[in-house]
Amino acid sequence: MTYKLIRLIHKDLLSLIRDRAGLLMLFLMPLTLVLIMTNIQDNTFNVVRESRIPALLLNLDQDSLGCAIERELYRSQTFDLHQSLDETPLTPQTLEAAVARGEYLLGIIIPQGATHAIRKNVARYINGVFSGAPVNKEPDSVNIRVFLDPTTKSSFRRALAGAMHEYSMQLEADFLFKEITREVNKISPIPIDNIELSRSQVKITEQYAALDQDKLLPNSVQHNIPAWGIFSIFFIVVSLSGNLLKEREDGCMSRLMVMPCPFALYITSKVVVYTVLCLTLSCLMLLMGFWIFPLTGLPALMMGHSISGMLLMFLTASLAAIGYGVAIATFSTSYQQTTIFAPMSVVILAAIGGIWIPAFTMPPLMQHLTTLSPMNWGLEGLYDIFVRDGNFFSVLPEALSLTLFAILCFGVSAVYHHHKKNT
Amino acid sequence: MNQSTAIEIRDLVKIYRGSEKAAVNHLSLMIPCGEIYGFLGPNGAGKSSTLNILCGLRRQTSGTILIEGRDFREYSREIRQKIGIVPQDIALYPTLTAYENLLLFGGVYGLRRKELDKRIREQLHTFGLTSSKNKQIQYFSGGMKRRINLIAGILHHPCILFLDEPTVGIDVQSKRVILDTLKELNARGTTMVYTSHSMDEAQEICTSLAMIDEGTVIETGSPASLLEKHSECRNLEEIYLKLTGKRLRD
Ligand SMILES: Nc1ncnc2c1ncn2[C@@H]1O[C@H](COP(=O)(O)OP(=O)(O)O)[C@@H](O)[C@H]1O
Ligand SMILES: [Mg+2]
Repeated sequence: MTYKLIRLIHKDLLSLIRDRAGLLMLFLMPLTLVLIMTNIQDNTFNVVRESRIPALLLNLDQDSLGCAIERELYRSQTFDLHQSLDETPLTPQTLEAAVARGEYLLGIIIPQGATHAIRKNVARYINGVFSGAPVNKEPDSVNIRVFLDPTTKSSFRRALAGAMHEYSMQLEADFLFKEITREVNKISPIPIDNIELSRSQVKITEQYAALDQDKLLPNSVQHNIPAWGIFSIFFIVVSLSGNLLKEREDGCMSRLMVMPCPFALYITSKVVVYTVLCLTLSCLMLLMGFWIFPLTGLPALMMGHSISGMLLMFLTASLAAIGYGVAIATFSTSYQQTTIFAPMSVVILAAIGGIWIPAFTMPPLMQHLTTLSPMNWGLEGLYDIFVRDGNFFSVLPEALSLTLFAILCFGVSAVYHHHKKNT
Repeated sequence: MNQSTAIEIRDLVKIYRGSEKAAVNHLSLMIPCGEIYGFLGPNGAGKSSTLNILCGLRRQTSGTILIEGRDFREYSREIRQKIGIVPQDIALYPTLTAYENLLLFGGVYGLRRKELDKRIREQLHTFGLTSSKNKQIQYFSGGMKRRINLIAGILHHPCILFLDEPTVGIDVQSKRVILDTLKELNARGTTMVYTSHSMDEAQEICTSLAMIDEGTVIETGSPASLLEKHSECRNLEEIYLKLTGKRLRD
């Protein structure tokens, strides 16, 4: 059996390699698509994330709080921060006008005496607590004003405003704690440490997902490499089903079936050869993300932290693709039919599955349909690894679905194959 | 069961899905061991259909087939190992070389590399194809493809060989070497079932033959006994025309 399988694999490998044009398409098509689509989508992602948002800052406080906000804004690298307009110092009026003209997406004004106001509040509060007297007076509020370009899309505006709000709250809280520590130390004989609050919890990138900052950044590369990796795996369906149909129309398959060569063995050889092909394609896709993308100005791909989970996904997606290809070939009646149906169905499944456009940007009805596409299962599994930093176990449901899909395809094909003898 | 019967066909019927006419219509035959048994008949007579059922590619609608006394449906594995087929249409991988094709088809019969290599060399030599060993099949001429098509069916030394029009559309030289090889194989004990349109060829190599029309046997016997029986005819072709008529077939 093993020897026969080796002979069959040898045959399938040679057939595959000799079909230069087909092989070239198999490799070039997904690799080109990923490069183009990632570059296109990178712009969209960039506006939100990568390129800095042009912003004006007017710091009228110039005390601890104002400086802390300023420092943080610079540090966050989210903003391209300016404190003057054409060399002339800002005023609240010129700032507002510049944002309104659309020259800057954002304007931030830290009011005069902000630090002082907070200090006063804190001192009053602390003294109140320690003297036992009720704190009755409303605290002087510190109002940091944020202006937004009115022409920015409302969704973006809301996201930005929300993020800014949280961001300043964070700073304020941070500052408050320090002030409280200072006040308490003044009246308490035992000095207490600064209560440090983790700074880096709120960022503009919050709108994507909850992520640990120093790990995976959601960007077009992290989204596109898995998507097109899955696409390239499923695109082998075109080659596989074409190959099977040619074999059938050349009479070679019938010849093998008359020989002591069970259908299962014949298919196993295809599975082995095309799995190797799929894994090669996946590796190329990863290498592309690592090395080629940075050369074109895109960020480099960041691997997740689960090689085993990634492998499992690539492997089960390959099996599903091969099963699908075998099923298409089994039910096709002619080579022409296959060469039209296979690529078309793969592209449609890709569209439904969220390969071309991420599923979350689709209308709600389409979002329900995405789960019908096996490519979506593969994609979700890989997103677990590349975007959500999942592990081997978090991709198990998707891997299982893909495996079941493959088994179903192989099973149905085998039954139909044996049934055809009777026709 | 008589050990000297290679193939027994009892009341074989094949009706293809979607057609109301039977391609094989209550066909019964006994083929003894050691024969070159010819199936003669016009196009669409059901020769290929019968062969395809005999070699297990398709399943009959009804009837029984015994190969060396055993039913195909029960002993398919053993029977597949013993029979060889040379299909009507060239069934070879066009992008593989002659050698690679033979390596595959011999290998599927379980022939190990060393022995297989020896046999392939021998056969390529016999059929004058040694120099084309490493050429891809797609660049072969029709006659060369026919020869490889035949070699692929005999590498494993089958007990029973099914040949579906093995000499159709080729030059005289290719036909000669094929017929000579068949005779030689037969002399070494291989039973053959062979279909053809060529009466001359049938007269030359068949030890027995069956004339088939519209899916059923209309006459059987050795070429000599048939000529004796139809004494008014000078050759097989005249007998054939007398029995099948001059009506053109679909
Ligand atoms: N796969 C098939 N499906 C339907 N009908 C078929 C099929 N193969 C052959 N036939 C029909 O069966 C009849 C016998 O064909 P065949 O056995 O190929 O004849 P022969 O080999 O004697 O020329 C013909 O009428 C043919 O059209
Ligand atoms: Mg025929």
